[in-house]
Amino acid sequence: MSVASKNILNRLYVVVLVFLVIAMFIVYKLFNIQYVHGDKYRELALQRTVKKDVIKANRGSIYADDGSLLATSVPKYDIRFDAVTVSKNNFTENITPLCDSLALILGKNASYYKSKLKKARRNKNRYTLIARNLGYSDYIKIKSFPIFNLGAYKGGIIVEQHTIREHPIAEIARRTIGWQGSGAGIEGAYGNEYLKGVNGERLKQKIAKGQYKPINDENEIEPKNGLDVVSTINVNIQDIAHHALLGQLEKFEAEHGTVVVMETKTGEVKAISNLKRNSKGQYSEQLNHAVGESHEPGSTFKLMVMVAALEDKVIDSSSVVDTENGVLTFYGKHVRDSRKGGYGKISAARAFEVSSNTGFVKIVQKGFENDPERFVNRLYNMGLNEKLGLSIKGEGRPMIPHPNDRIWSGISLPWMAYGYGVSLTPLQTLTFYNAIANNGEMVKPRFVKEIRDFKSSKPIKTFEKEILNPKICSDATIGKVKEMMKNVVVRGTATNIYSKDFSMAGKTGTCTTDYGDKKAKKQYIASFSGYFPADNPKYSCIVVIHKPKTSIGYYGNVVAAPVFKTIAKKIYTDTPLVDEVDVSFSESTTLDNEYEIYLEKSRKEYKTVPNVVGMSGMDAISFLENLGMKVYIKGNGKVKKQSLNVGEKITVAKEIVLELS
Amino acid sequence: MIASSHKAEEKVFEIGDLDKQVKELRSEYVDLRSQLMKLKMESKISEKMLARGLKSSEEPPKKIKVIEK
Repeated sequence: MSVASKNILNRLYVVVLVFLVIAMFIVYKLFNIQYVHGDKYRELALQRTVKKDVIKANRGSIYADDGSLLATSVPKYDIRFDAVTVSKNNFTENITPLCDSLALILGKNASYYKSKLKKARRNKNRYTLIARNLGYSDYIKIKSFPIFNLGAYKGGIIVEQHTIREHPIAEIARRTIGWQGSGAGIEGAYGNEYLKGVNGERLKQKIAKGQYKPINDENEIEPKNGLDVVSTINVNIQDIAHHALLGQLEKFEAEHGTVVVMETKTGEVKAISNLKRNSKGQYSEQLNHAVGESHEPGSTFKLMVMVAALEDKVIDSSSVVDTENGVLTFYGKHVRDSRKGGYGKISAARAFEVSSNTGFVKIVQKGFENDPERFVNRLYNMGLNEKLGLSIKGEGRPMIPHPNDRIWSGISLPWMAYGYGVSLTPLQTLTFYNAIANNGEMVKPRFVKEIRDFKSSKPIKTFEKEILNPKICSDATIGKVKEMMKNVVVRGTATNIYSKDFSMAGKTGTCTTDYGDKKAKKQYIASFSGYFPADNPKYSCIVVIHKPKTSIGYYGNVVAAPVFKTIAKKIYTDTPLVDEVDVSFSESTTLDNEYEIYLEKSRKEYKTVPNVVGMSGMDAISFLENLGMKVYIKGNGKVKKQSLNVGEKITVAKEIVLELS
Repeated sequence: MIASSHKAEEKVFEIGDLDKQVKELRSEYVDLRSQLMKLKMESKISEKMLARGLKSSEEPPKKIKVIEK
């Protein structure tokens, strides 16, 4: 018995030992996992279930001056199709209506989609692209089509959403608004500082349905949404400017053109349009010519020359210049007037109005031949050789040669007199014209008015007007050149845009470009720069059109000025003429008394004809008609006689004749 | 503990749904707004009105402002 029990005990010990070893192994393993490799596994677990979530900051929008959207971030949808998940019946039955509907929205024909979807089903393609970058309304429509309306599992529709930047008014002013990430336009200039915002971060733990839940109550890093930028662009003026320019470019089959409208007092750019013909022959916004393209201005530069000459008192507007049959020769090169034979002896002001090249060369030669530096310095002092320092990138560099420069030659001065051998961007030229319109105060063109946070009604930052030069020249000079510019339209080179209804002032410009190549056909730049109304300028505007088809026309007044006129006219017809009428009502006791009598009478109920003699005709008519009678009158004034006697019974439509005097 | 954790998760799902809705409504808003902006531009309106024989006035509108004393 004892032997047997000992045996059992021995076996038990063995079993216990085995258990103990296993238990110790487990404890060892636990210890090992927990402490030796603990950190590694804990990290792994964290990685699996916890993620750092980036909370994207919304990019701010760009608004026009009236709050219309110019650029904003919108979700767009890509639609794909899982051809396998759809049941056979469903697919064969509904493919035709689906393809018909798709064709209606997406523009390609139904058979294209039919073959595409059938092919996808044959190849078991579970990710066939149907359409990219759909807007919300199209996406909603597509979602409701047969097959697709069954959803992702039965209908096989796969929707992917992503955010893109959109310009709601499409092509218009696109270049100046710019693109996100390209550095161009307002997006580029104000993108990083204001529009972008700061991305936030938040730790999240994995939970069911592939969702993550935040671990802490607060975000680790709070996202900051981008701020909104309110630009100075006015959608209405921009719309007019864009279409006026487009029409003219198409009419003259020009290569490219630009138009800028600026508010005179503040320098706010109300409209800026840059259109260039693309390879398909259509015009689109490709480059910001107004800001970036520095070119020879031609005759629009005569304003600067005239101002310099008047300031230095080398001439006066009434001084007589001899335009000498319209041809001058310097070092074998000719200066020609556009009118053959020239204009004879005319006043300096007239030379400006008719844009006489020879006249201007004579003025400058006479005044500055011995001291060209004085002339150039005068231009420099007006800031013409410096960039404006625009917020938008890519401003072209102006060029006005100095007598000490290597490129200076004998013809530099005379050629400069009519705008050759110098170079300005359209916006720089416009800024100068605007300064004249603004009585000498040169203001910097601005594209952005203020920075806003959409949550608060108050702007975060307001951009005030920036004065580049408080007085570019004397008031006397300004008065003279303003008169000349007004006369350009009244009796000078731009009479074709004259209107008796509203006034404009400006200067035409026609200059040859790419003249280096003697063999090529002559190409022109037509321009018009000025302001309106002439007497109390509100807006200044420049129009530059490059390389119009010469057989259709190339003069500044024909090609460019009509765009200017269209804009000026539109703004004129859109601005109401306000007439103030001063009406002072004096209290009239007799009038009040008469009214009281009438009121008392009319409130009573009548069954018989009342006495209206002595009442004013107007009152008597309304009074009697209210009683249901038909009233005829003779004469005017107060009632003298009534055809029905007082006290007669009133029946409906009874006629009564009143004699008034 | 478990119950409140579930509650919290429910909230997360709800927030997810609402976020999606916000996005969709926002895209609807922008989409419609851009359509409206295109429609109300003067060039578009005058184009459409041409068919009805209407064109914009050559004369500016006159406004009479009455000042009472």
